[in-house]
Amino acid sequence: MPAAVAGSSRRSGRRRPREEAGLKRANFGDSPGLPTLLLLPQLLILLFFFFIPSLRALMQSVLLSDPFGTNVQFVWFDNFKTLLASGDYRQSIAVTFWFTVAQNVLTLGSALVLAFATDRIVRGRSAYRTIILLPYAIAPAIAGILWAFLFNPAVGPLAQVLHGLGIAWDPNLNPTDALILVTLAASWKHICYDYIFLVVGLLAVPVSLMEAAAVDGAGPIRRFVSIALPMLGPTIFFLTVMNFIYGFFETFAIIDAVTKGGPAGATNILVYKVFVDGFVNLDLGSSAAQSVLLMSFALICTLLQFRYFDRKVNYGV
Amino acid sequence: MGRKVAFIAALFGALALVGPAQARVEVQWWHAMSGVLGDRLNELVEKFNKSQDKYTIVAVAKGNYDEVTNGVIAAYRAKRPPEMVQIAERGYMTMLLSGAIVPVQDLVEQKGYKIDFSDFIKPVASFWSYKGRMSAMPFNSSTPIFWYNKDHFQKAGFDKPADTWQELEKQLYTIKSKGISECGTVLPGDFYWSLLENYSAINNQPYGTLANGFDGLGTEFVYNKTKVVSQVARLKKWLDDGVMQIAGQGFSPEQLFTSGRCSTFVNSTASHGNIERNATINWSATFLPHESDINPPLNSTIGGGAIWVMKGHTPERYEAVAAFLDFVAQPETQVWWHGATGYVPATNRAYAVARERGYYKDHPTREIAVLQLSRGTPNENSRGFRFGNFVQTMLAQRQEVEAVFAGQKQPQQAMDDAVKRGNEILRQFEKLNAGKTPETERP
Repeated sequence: MPAAVAGSSRRSGRRRPREEAGLKRANFGDSPGLPTLLLLPQLLILLFFFFIPSLRALMQSVLLSDPFGTNVQFVWFDNFKTLLASGDYRQSIAVTFWFTVAQNVLTLGSALVLAFATDRIVRGRSAYRTIILLPYAIAPAIAGILWAFLFNPAVGPLAQVLHGLGIAWDPNLNPTDALILVTLAASWKHICYDYIFLVVGLLAVPVSLMEAAAVDGAGPIRRFVSIALPMLGPTIFFLTVMNFIYGFFETFAIIDAVTKGGPAGATNILVYKVFVDGFVNLDLGSSAAQSVLLMSFALICTLLQFRYFDRKVNYGV
Repeated sequence: MGRKVAFIAALFGALALVGPAQARVEVQWWHAMSGVLGDRLNELVEKFNKSQDKYTIVAVAKGNYDEVTNGVIAAYRAKRPPEMVQIAERGYMTMLLSGAIVPVQDLVEQKGYKIDFSDFIKPVASFWSYKGRMSAMPFNSSTPIFWYNKDHFQKAGFDKPADTWQELEKQLYTIKSKGISECGTVLPGDFYWSLLENYSAINNQPYGTLANGFDGLGTEFVYNKTKVVSQVARLKKWLDDGVMQIAGQGFSPEQLFTSGRCSTFVNSTASHGNIERNATINWSATFLPHESDINPPLNSTIGGGAIWVMKGHTPERYEAVAAFLDFVAQPETQVWWHGATGYVPATNRAYAVARERGYYKDHPTREIAVLQLSRGTPNENSRGFRFGNFVQTMLAQRQEVEAVFAGQKQPQQAMDDAVKRGNEILRQFEKLNAGKTPETERP
């Protein structure tokens, strides 16, 4: 995460070269020894926890092997072919797409509303903020169990409310209900993350602009939409990218706790499928192929976002 | 992951070297028992450790069956496997053909212990042995039985649950319509095991070709052409009519039963310990129902786990392992374990001892599993299930059944799809293990 923050600020720097002109480049002298040494810990971590596992995943994805690794066959791209031919996998892609987009919209939307609301409050603002931030401290698995319980059709209090309203709510049986439930749980867990960035972003909006608009007769909502929101552009862009990554990779524990990918694969998002095929089914080749594909999807998604969305973002505040 | 485990293992290895020289040989046993069952397992290990002064067994709980399997795979790949590991029945073929194990009968005989392997009760012995030799030590064997709420049945005017599905269905609908309980039954979390696999065995339905996989790797699923399809349709009907409920994630079917909300449920005989501890209701248990046109019903099959011995250790450690396995097979140990947990006694002698002591007079429901397992003459439909990648095929099947419950597919279509997906998975296992015979290298 910190790397991504640095990334976005570096990008904003690129558009304002006058800042970079002030940087000194010769702080370490001419010898490459010290900088290399200082970089070494980070490089080693990258090597052991990123490059080597990625390479192994690439290798594994073209192999058919038993879990103990005693019997290994090279199968070219069979794992990928099988995957792309399987309806199960295509369903998983569709589910992931809907889940990620819905989660993104819901999370960012709620966070914006909350940030707007707490920005308006003068008394007790920090108390409200703390309360809104609390879910971030809850482990995803616990959050999942909480939601699963609240909406359990047999015993959950909120499910009883829904039944009372005449809605036949049952995430154990109904794929749509299950997808709604995990989307809600995942969003709820992530709203606070978006919220904290937006609150900080709002603090950076110049008071003078807001006051000028107020003098001109713009109401609070108009001021928020026309002035604050455009200025939050870079933050919102960054959060969209982060939300996609969250949806792709970090919602695994929530899915595991709420639905285990069911019913009938309705919530079997890609990252959960990677886990189940690798660690439960012990189908290492397929699991590795899936993680390679998942990584590619995430990469393409992020690139597209930067390519098309980034242009619309105004960094020059 | 392998790397990390190797590093941690190496660290512990180094620590062990600087520690004081130990007179006792220490061996590790990784297992998947938690809760009441985990406590009992620790007692068992303690009993063994106290019974002699040469060996120490260290029991390590590694999470559920999947997590234990993953742990041992990672450890084996990092060349630091434990000496013994408890693996669920579904992992049998994976372990047998892994090339990573030492068959227990070879080990025990080589170390000079005389365990009478022919005395193991039939379904247990036939499941865990390959070509007549025991590959793993049967440890916690269970079978599903039918649990019921006595009060609910009495209120509805029945003595006990009926023997056949047809009669039982009427009873459950009566209980529901009279408002005695909210649901007649609750779908077990492992319904594929109790209500599809064991259902096939009891009702003499073939599940796969080649004697359900016992006769070779070329096996194919055939349950889309048997009564399993109507069984799935029955479950769907019960769900639609509110006679059956699904407990869902974060909540166990057992809780719906023990709280008196649902009148019956199908679950392993191993839940005796938990139910005795938690239930506030007047419960009992009986045999699983069978179809009315199947008479007599056959035996059910076993689930649970066995102890596998891993390759790559020193002879003196295998001494310890053999001593422990011998201890586990003793009738005394088996009787104690049976009583403490509800798992089936693995040998005929242990069963006889428990009977002689009048144990089943006080605990009649504990005998159901043994009687159900040894009912009739096992044939190739009821000997058990021996499929490669069995967990994977089961999950595919489960997904298809859920599609029926969700109203997306008709039972026949879903079972056809499940069989098709399952067969592809079986072919993959066959391809990987083509022409392979299990490892018989002596330790």
